[in-house]
Amino acid sequence: MTQQAPPAGDPVVAAPAIALDHAARWYGNVVAVNDVSFSLGAGVTGLLGPNGAGKTTLLHMLAGFLAPSAGTVQILGRSPHRDPSVYRQIGLVPERESVYSFLTGFEYVRFNARLQGMRNAESAARAAIARVGLEDAADRAIGTYSKGMRQRAKVAGALVHDPQVLLLDEPFNGMDPRQRLAMMDLLVEMAGAGRTILFSSHILEEVERIGTEILVLVAGRLAASGDFRAIRALMTDRPHTITIRSSDDRRLATTLMADPAVFAVELTDNAVSVQTAHLSAFRRIIAGAGRTAGVRLTEVVPADESLESVFDYLVRR
Amino acid sequence: MSAGNRLSASSAGGSIYDLGYRHYEGPRRGRGYAVWSLYVESLRGIWGFGRPMSAKAAPFILAGLYAFFAFLQLAFASTLANEISSGQQVQLFTYDSYFTQFGFLLILFCVAQAPEVVCRDQRYQVLPLYFTRAMGRADYALARLASLATALFLALIVPMIALFVGDVLMKPDTIGAIGDELPRALPAIPACLLIAASMASISLALSSYSPRRAYSAIGLIAYFLLMEAVPAIIYAVANHGGVNSADKLVLLAPITSLSGATDWFFGQSLSSDFPTTLGSEAYVLACLVSVAVFTAVLVFRYRRIPA
Amino acid sequence: MTGTLTAFPEIVRLTFRQQLGRRRTLLLLLLAALPPLLALVYRAFGQLDIESFTYNVFDLVSMTIVLPLTTVLFGSGAFGAENDEGTIVYLLAKPISRWVIVSAKAFSAVVLAVLLTVGSVLLVGVIELLPAGADGASATEAYVAAMVVGSFCYSILFLALSLFTRRALVIGIGYSLVWEGALSTLLPGIANLSVRQYALGAGDGFYQLSAHAARLSPATALTLSAILIVVAFALATWRLGRFEMSGSTD
Repeated sequence: MTQQAPPAGDPVVAAPAIALDHAARWYGNVVAVNDVSFSLGAGVTGLLGPNGAGKTTLLHMLAGFLAPSAGTVQILGRSPHRDPSVYRQIGLVPERESVYSFLTGFEYVRFNARLQGMRNAESAARAAIARVGLEDAADRAIGTYSKGMRQRAKVAGALVHDPQVLLLDEPFNGMDPRQRLAMMDLLVEMAGAGRTILFSSHILEEVERIGTEILVLVAGRLAASGDFRAIRALMTDRPHTITIRSSDDRRLATTLMADPAVFAVELTDNAVSVQTAHLSAFRRIIAGAGRTAGVRLTEVVPADESLESVFDYLVRR
Repeated sequence: MSAGNRLSASSAGGSIYDLGYRHYEGPRRGRGYAVWSLYVESLRGIWGFGRPMSAKAAPFILAGLYAFFAFLQLAFASTLANEISSGQQVQLFTYDSYFTQFGFLLILFCVAQAPEVVCRDQRYQVLPLYFTRAMGRADYALARLASLATALFLALIVPMIALFVGDVLMKPDTIGAIGDELPRALPAIPACLLIAASMASISLALSSYSPRRAYSAIGLIAYFLLMEAVPAIIYAVANHGGVNSADKLVLLAPITSLSGATDWFFGQSLSSDFPTTLGSEAYVLACLVSVAVFTAVLVFRYRRIPA
Repeated sequence: MTGTLTAFPEIVRLTFRQQLGRRRTLLLLLLAALPPLLALVYRAFGQLDIESFTYNVFDLVSMTIVLPLTTVLFGSGAFGAENDEGTIVYLLAKPISRWVIVSAKAFSAVVLAVLLTVGSVLLVGVIELLPAGADGASATEAYVAAMVVGSFCYSILFLALSLFTRRALVIGIGYSLVWEGALSTLLPGIANLSVRQYALGAGDGFYQLSAHAARLSPATALTLSAILIVVAFALATWRLGRFEMSGSTD
């Protein structure tokens, strides 16, 4: 089974940017977050989980809006719930849409900057707005913005003070594909500069694209953490499926069936679907098998290396 | 093989059933039932049924406080009965003065609950769900109005019943006592109906103009308080200054008018606070007019509301 | 903490903008305009008896209606939008002490309430009382003081209340109507817990208000007011520090 190994990532400061130690949160009889431990350093990490898994609760605990019922939650070595001074290093983008709708985008970001105690609030606000691409709309009231624009305004407000840690709850909600790509680039860029970014999402393609590190939360427990490809490799109780296209599928299938590394072969619509328990062994023999069968291989694709299949597996366990 | 299924394909040997959208072809109950359902749901909501416990606090506490004093008298009536010779009565509170003394609690009840009745649908913009069904806009408004009026009537009548029971218990001869007391107590019913209708129509008409509960509540309490104080003050000043026509202004005061109307139902003369120029019938008329006007305002509001 | 100095005026500015929406401001101005209008009515009918005038206009309208409603709106409305719409996270996720946030909100509420209520009383004074001589001037001073003390106490009280319950508005109105109004006439001891009495008591120092109005001496009234303000402020700060998001919609 999977181990709860902390993901790779070199911490920029002495204390890891985000550290949970046996953190739990319950409401009466309902346990929303159950004995979760992990620590994160610089980089982008995606927090995944089905609805009701506890993602928002976890993010609220990280943001200091919920005290853990047990265990500790620390950002840069301090507990945000007790010590508001750590907010200087935290940027928060909450899920709920509402923002002060009577303020203009610029005023809202500047408000955040001023509350953070920045001296050059105006220029920082302009810079943050430019970074999210809201320059054109910055002087209109937020109430007139589309959903995607409001999201971007919130992100601008969260990064105006250049925090060390960014927490985003479903940040891509409401953004169109182009805005999403721009936002992803921004997050990757910030992570590259040493920031620690944690975002939650339902949309696996997004997470796949920018976060190789993931945390999977299922029913309040941490089901897996780390690089999802490495997690996939650890899922040894589930055979890998590889899809192969070739010049003669049937001949290839017959040859492959003879090999001990393969335990199932299926002929599908102009492709051969192979199941193997030992991916590395299979990788070694496939080229030889093609040559033996006298068949030209045009495509060899692992069919379930995607995050989706990993996620699916973890959720169903 | 049930014959009632819809078929998507069929041959002699077997059938494939259509498991798509299921149509309802049974009886539909129509407008009257829809209005009745809204009325019942609304009435339950006012008392907090079908809502969390905290929603029951305000209505029950306020209505309970209003009824409290009548029950107090009832409790004492049982103990006093032994000490009073027949024919003598001890009464702190009477049917006709009860509302005048404690009505402010019901004002609070309206301020607390009327916004709950009409503001939520506006706030969450679910009005189209009502208006595109069998029920019309006026039906919606009237159903809500009827529910608040019913709730108020219940709150009003319970202490009346308690007073009645207390008065009966105070006398040694129960059957005779009922015969005596009933005619004295009966005017309470039409009086309470009028009070309920009047307060409900004012509360809902004013509350329906804002989707935010806070503003509705403030507007409502401001109306009740100011419309009592200001006409009275103007009347007093004008009277002092020798001008008599200002007494018509007192007709505008909702609670005072209801007080006067109650006196008419019970055949009592008006207390000394009232201007001497108008008889109690005038107040009954004023209340009826107020019910009509505010109901019209409420219906008008819902006719015009964008949804 | 870093943000403190710039945060206070920023939050105050924001709260002013929040509280002064068009409709709300209009209605409150109308409310505050009523006592002056009544004073004009008095003017129209000539004679003036200061006792009955101050009772009718100040006690019945300003103290009982204008002051509580204005302060309930501004006081419970200070955190109102943030409570309703969840925007409170933008205030809390900042390196600012909680008491700074509370004081900024309280400051806005009190300032707005004072402006409206004192303005209303001054207008009344100008119209009717000051022309009546020294007595009229003292009466005006008395009620200005009453409005100031009342604004402070009510606003902070209702602000703290709004952080504890969602029904702060109704409870506030109930407090003013039932506790300070009806019950107060029945049980004299309640005067010690009634902001209205604090306000009237404070005004008493300037002018003997209507004989049956003020029940506390100015010193008592001011002391109790100070205690109330401190306690309410402390409770509000404590509550804000314990703030937790209600439920999540995962």
